Amino acid sequence: MELDWRSFLLLALFAVPWDSWGSQRDPVTSVMWDYYHERLLGGEAFVFDERVKLSAPPFAEDARQVPIQIDASAFDGQVVRMLAWAELNPIPQIFDFQPGEQVLPRLAIRIRVEQATPLRVAVLTRDGLWHVGSTQIDAAGGGCTAPSVVRAQAGWEEHLGEVLGKRFVLADANRLRVQVAHPMDNGLVGGIPEFFLNQAQLRDRSGNTLASLELFPAVSENPTISLDVKGNVETELWLRDNNGNEFKAEL
Amino acid sequence: MRWILILAALASACVHANPLAYDLQPRQIADGVWLFEGSTDNFSQANGGNIVNTGFIVTDKGVVVIDSGPSRRYGEVMRQAIARVTDKPLLKVMLTHHHPDHVLGNQAFSDVPIAALPGTTALLVEQGDTMAENMYRLVGDWMRGTEVLLPTESLEPGMLEVGGRTLQLLALSGHTGADLAILDVQSGVLFAGDLVFYQRALTTPGTPSLATWLADLDQLQHLPWKQIVPGHGPLASDAAPFAQMRDYLGWLDGVMRSGAEQGAEMNELIRTAIPERFAGVNLSRYELIRSVSHLYPRYEQAAMQRVDR
Repeated sequence: MELDWRSFLLLALFAVPWDSWGSQRDPVTSVMWDYYHERLLGGEAFVFDERVKLSAPPFAEDARQVPIQIDASAFDGQVVRMLAWAELNPIPQIFDFQPGEQVLPRLAIRIRVEQATPLRVAVLTRDGLWHVGSTQIDAAGGGCTAPSVVRAQAGWEEHLGEVLGKRFVLADANRLRVQVAHPMDNGLVGGIPEFFLNQAQLRDRSGNTLASLELFPAVSENPTISLDVKGNVETELWLRDNNGNEFKAEL
Repeated sequence: MRWILILAALASACVHANPLAYDLQPRQIADGVWLFEGSTDNFSQANGGNIVNTGFIVTDKGVVVIDSGPSRRYGEVMRQAIARVTDKPLLKVMLTHHHPDHVLGNQAFSDVPIAALPGTTALLVEQGDTMAENMYRLVGDWMRGTEVLLPTESLEPGMLEVGGRTLQLLALSGHTGADLAILDVQSGVLFAGDLVFYQRALTTPGTPSLATWLADLDQLQHLPWKQIVPGHGPLASDAAPFAQMRDYLGWLDGVMRSGAEQGAEMNELIRTAIPERFAGVNLSRYELIRSVSHLYPRYEQAAMQRVDR
C-alpha cells in the first residue's frame, strides 16, 4: 500500500520510544551541540536524559578550579563509557571514563573554564544509546589561560606525582578521593608546552583493571578526583602523564 | 499633536536625566560621625555596587573619610554629599581593606592623602585591576572612568591624632589578610570594615582562616565601642553583629570540617541546608557557594593523607 506523508509522521511518532526522561529537547542553550554530537559521539543515537545528573555550581567562583560531579548510577551495570566536555572551552574535553563492573558510574573532578559554557556528560549504555546530562555554568572567565599556581611555587617538581587521598564509607559505596600534585599544563599559557596527566587506572591488588580514565587538560592543576567503588576492595591507582612519568597510590 | 509633543519631550527628558545616579544621603550617627549606608544585596546593574557602608568623621580641622566606595562616580557623589555637611577640608581617606567596593572611589579623592595598611596596598597592587574589571562586568556603566588609584600613605596600628580627634587603628587580617578597623575614641563608633557583616552573608576570598577571623572578632568586641558600623549591613548599638558573625563562622567551619571528614564533594556541600536562624542573613546560599570554593580545599587536604607509593 502507499503511505502518504501524514501516515509516515504518525508511524514515526509511534516508533520513537516515548519515556518521560529522554528527549530530543536540549535542556541548555547551546550553539555547539550538533558539532560535538558529530565529533565526540560520532553522530550516534542519543537522548538528553535527566537521569544522568551533572552537577556544577551556578557560577565559577574560581574558573581554574570548578567542581563538577557526574552521577549516572540510574544506569549502574549498563554503562560502557562516560565522556564529559565543556562546550565553549578552548580545550573542551574533560575525561573519558570506563567504570567497569565494580565501580559506580559516578565521578567528581575539578576543571578549568574559559568562559560561561554548557557542560555535558554523555553516557553510553550497552544498548548503544548515548544518554546526555547537561548543565550550564556562568563564569567571569580566564580559567584556561591563567598562569599556573603550581608553577609559581618553588620546588614544585619535587612534589610532582605526590598523591593525597582517603577512602570514605558512603551508604552505597566506598568513595576514593585523591588529589595528585601535577601542573596539568594545557599549552595555552605562553612558553609552557602541554604537560598533563592523561591516563589513570584503578586496579585491584592483583593488577586487574577496575576502571579506566583518560584525562584531558581541561582538568584543573593538582587534579582532585573522586571515584565510588562497590564494597571495600583494596585498590591501587595508577597514573601516567604525557611525558611518560608514572605514579601510583594505594587506597 | 500637542500630546505627542509633550510625550516626546518627557521621553527625551528621561533619556537625558542621568539614570545612573547614586542616592547617597549622609546620616549622622554620633557627634561628628556620619554614615552612608548601602544595601545588603549583591553587586548589580540596578544598584551600581552601592552595597557597602562608608562614612566620614568631621574633626576640628577637617574631615576623615572612611572608604571610598565601588566606583569613581560613587566617590564623586560621596564627596559632594560631604561638602553639603561641612565646608572643612578633607584631611585624609582611610581604606579599611582592598576589596573593590571599598576603594574604587579613590579617584574622587586624588588630591587628598589616601591611607591604608601596607598589606592593603600590596593586595591592591596584586589584585586591583582584576577586581576592577570584574566590577565592570557586574555593574556595567556605573563604573565608567573608574581605575585603581593606589594609597599614598601607610597606616600603622595604634592611636592616631587627627584634627584634635583620636582614632584607634587596629591592623587585623581575618577577612582579607590586611583589615583595618577604626574606633573613634570620642564617640565610641567602631568602623569595623568587612571584619563585621550584619544581616548579610560574609565573604571569604582571601581570608587566612576562619579561626583568624574569630580571633579578630574577640579583639574588636573588647574595644570600648558604643556603636558598630559593619562593612555591610545595618548600624548596631549592641553586640548582635558579633554574635551573628561568630555563629555564622562557626556554622561555616563545621559544614566544611564535617564535609571533609565524610568525603563530601563541593557540589554536595553547596546544597547544605541553611539553618533557619540565618533566614535574615541576605545572600547566604550565594556566599556558601563562594566560600566552599575558597576554603574547602584546605579542609579536604587536612582530612587526607599521602597515599602515593
